[in-house]
Amino acid sequence: MDATTAPHRIPAEMPQYGEANHIFELMQTMLEQLLIHQPEDPVSFMIKHLNRNNDNVPKIIILGPPASGKTTIAMWLCKHLNSNLLSMQNLIGRELQFMNPEMKRQYLRTKMIPSALLVRLIEDRLEEEDCIKRGWILDGIPETREQALTIQSQGIIPRHVVVLSALDTVLIERNLGKRVDPQTGEIYHTTFDWPPESDIQNRLVVPPGISEMETARKLLEYHRNIVRIIPSYPKILKVISADQPCVDVFYQALTYVQTHHRSNAPFTPRVLLCGPTGSGKSLQAALLAQKYSLVNVCCGQLLKEAVADKTQFGELIRPFFEKQMVVPDSLVVKVLTQRLDHQDSIQKGWVMHGFPRDQDQAHMLDTLGYEPNRVFFLNVPLDSIIERLTLRRTDPVTGERYHLLYKPPPTMEIQARLLQNPKDSEEQVKLKVDLFYRNSADLEQFYKQAITLNGDQDPYTVFEYVESGIINPLPKKVP
Amino acid sequence: MASAMTDRTSRAGNTYTYTSRPRALPCQRRRYRDSFLQAEEEPVHYGNIMYDRRVIRGNTYALQTGQLAGQPDPLELQRRQQAKRRALARKRAQEQLRPRTPEPVEGRKHVDVQTELYLEEIADRVIEVDMECQTDAFLDRPATPLFIPAKTGKDVNTQILEGELFDFDLEVKPMLEVLVGKTIEQSLLEVMEEEELANLQAMQHAYEEIRNIELAEVQRLEEQERRHREEKERRKHQQWEIVNKHNETSQKIAARAFAQRYLADLLPSVFSSLRDSGYFYDPIERDIEIGFLPWLMNEVEKTMEYCMVGRTVLDMLIREVVERRLNMYENKDKHQSLKPEDMYGGPGTMRDPTVGYDFQEQSLSHTQRPLLDRDDPQRMSYGDPSQERKYMDEGELLGQSEETAIRKSTGKDELQ
Repeated sequence: MDATTAPHRIPAEMPQYGEANHIFELMQTMLEQLLIHQPEDPVSFMIKHLNRNNDNVPKIIILGPPASGKTTIAMWLCKHLNSNLLSMQNLIGRELQFMNPEMKRQYLRTKMIPSALLVRLIEDRLEEEDCIKRGWILDGIPETREQALTIQSQGIIPRHVVVLSALDTVLIERNLGKRVDPQTGEIYHTTFDWPPESDIQNRLVVPPGISEMETARKLLEYHRNIVRIIPSYPKILKVISADQPCVDVFYQALTYVQTHHRSNAPFTPRVLLCGPTGSGKSLQAALLAQKYSLVNVCCGQLLKEAVADKTQFGELIRPFFEKQMVVPDSLVVKVLTQRLDHQDSIQKGWVMHGFPRDQDQAHMLDTLGYEPNRVFFLNVPLDSIIERLTLRRTDPVTGERYHLLYKPPPTMEIQARLLQNPKDSEEQVKLKVDLFYRNSADLEQFYKQAITLNGDQDPYTVFEYVESGIINPLPKKVP
Repeated sequence: MASAMTDRTSRAGNTYTYTSRPRALPCQRRRYRDSFLQAEEEPVHYGNIMYDRRVIRGNTYALQTGQLAGQPDPLELQRRQQAKRRALARKRAQEQLRPRTPEPVEGRKHVDVQTELYLEEIADRVIEVDMECQTDAFLDRPATPLFIPAKTGKDVNTQILEGELFDFDLEVKPMLEVLVGKTIEQSLLEVMEEEELANLQAMQHAYEEIRNIELAEVQRLEEQERRHREEKERRKHQQWEIVNKHNETSQKIAARAFAQRYLADLLPSVFSSLRDSGYFYDPIERDIEIGFLPWLMNEVEKTMEYCMVGRTVLDMLIREVVERRLNMYENKDKHQSLKPEDMYGGPGTMRDPTVGYDFQEQSLSHTQRPLLDRDDPQRMSYGDPSQERKYMDEGELLGQSEETAIRKSTGKDELQ
């Protein structure tokens, strides 16, 4: 039997390393570049590619109708992300003196150049050092589907495409107020984006071609083309309404541009659900375990199982249970370690709830090597918790559990004999909730990448939020 | 004398020294009468009367009785007398207190009796006896005789004759013995020493031999030990390396298995992402899109243009005809109320132009005739008016390839 094929005990650091350093995405981009460029010496090419380390630089295309503010947004994004702006003007401006006179004349007349030349210009520009190091933002290119296809076939692949959209009437009106600063090239607006400094105000000129007719004609062209460009970028496109203040548009664009897309990297979820008692953690954990076949690690349940099975840990824990005291951290951690070391929980992933209750326990969990890669905080207001918990009842005869509001018992007879668990009384509930909130601030500070959800909704809605939180990559922090 | 001495010395300096020649202490009792011989040796004690303390100075008629050196103060005297009196009184008191023999009983009388062994006669009067004696008159001290100590000891004498004291042979013997003996002893000693030395040497050799052997043995053992140790070290090292390698290998295998599993989806993912980004495209689709469709659209545009051109031309024809007719009508004095006006409708009605077209061709346009000639057979063949439009369009399309250029130019001329 070949040693490489036997089932292996893979140390847990390896998947964690892979996840933390985004190995899969790294390999994917490298392989893509290899396939696109097909160099003669693949090894040195790969070395050069890895040395560049530019997988995370912005590669953005911004499209939109005239007067939607795409140049403004593009410039702001450039400044914010410290990247390079490529637009028709500045691409051609560099080449103007090198073009032959006939093309120059044609350009100056129609402001258009053949697509092949444009694509070649873009290619050359993108090969330069600063674009490689800091990324690029294309403003208004490609304009037609032909250009889009040519760019794609050259291997220039953006990571995010932002399309601004607004009603034509709005755009036509807006375009009438457009003003340009001849020195910096920045675009201002008489109503929406007036520069504060008076010297800039004095410099502003009215650009040519902003009359209604012109705008309408350009809009027509645009609509004709954009419909055919959008299908070329299926998964990375986002449409933002340009009919809002430009700061809002900018922030939406910025947030979108900074998200990773879902990657195909193999991912074993290690989920931690935190929240006060009654926020629905066990329910969500059960749903997750069922749907994604994760191992459901409920701390309280594990301890009770240990006591019931009379294992050696169980014998140690039983006196604490009998005296109704809190089990010490060291014992709990030992029991948890035992459970989390099983091969199935390493392979399938786990969802844990009820364990770290404060910062020390969270530290202990981390030092043992069981760091969760998704942490969720379920926020439920106190009234909802009380409503959910104090109305729980159990039928002593059948053992069936009812809730007076959400799952009332069918007959009056059953309702008459229902009993309430003393742990569900209001004071007990309030006590436990207070206990949680005392430590929640520390926990939130410890788990900086946690996702906070509103737990006060229908369980399946909350489950969908949890799912999307698990599946989508974690948001990048703004540097 | 002493005081004279001291006075002298005290005047000389601060230090006090006292020296005196050793002298015999004068005896108080003189055996012989004073002679003239003794004067120089014994200085006579004399002193200056002026400095004698016993002499009273000053006026003596008002002599203070007290305060002579050593004389008691009168106050002191009084005190002493008082003290004496007190002491006497105390003594008397004590005597009275002292137990005495009780007073004799009535009719009796105490008498003192001696109880010692030898009785003594006690008389008031002491027995006196006179005795006389006489000392000789003083004589001169005689000269001291020479002192010759008495002889002690016994006198003995003897005489030694020649040859009695020293006999050479006899005397030599012990010396010879000694000498020879000593020599022999010495030589014996030397020989013994030599022997002993030789013995020692031999022992030392033997010892050295043994020692060398032992050293060699020790070295050998040490070598052995060292070799063992090195061997052990080497084996341990080897084992450790093996274990290390084993670990590394298992880690590498685990890493490889993990990487395989992790990147199992890599290739499909790469290809699908490249396809999504448009790098991989269906070439036929692309070809159709880039090659065929534009051409198609172009052609459609052209056809539509031609259609438009044709219609414009038609409109122009209609207009011309109508104008001419109008003119003819106006010129011809309203004889003919021409239906062609109704028939020929306005420019742009779809129904009539086909019919009108035929009509026009038959009646007019010499200029157009050579151009339209080729169309005629095609058009004429389709007599059915309902289908005529369709057929005409089809005919236009079919005939387009040959006449494209000409039509275009006419169209363009018309438009311009």
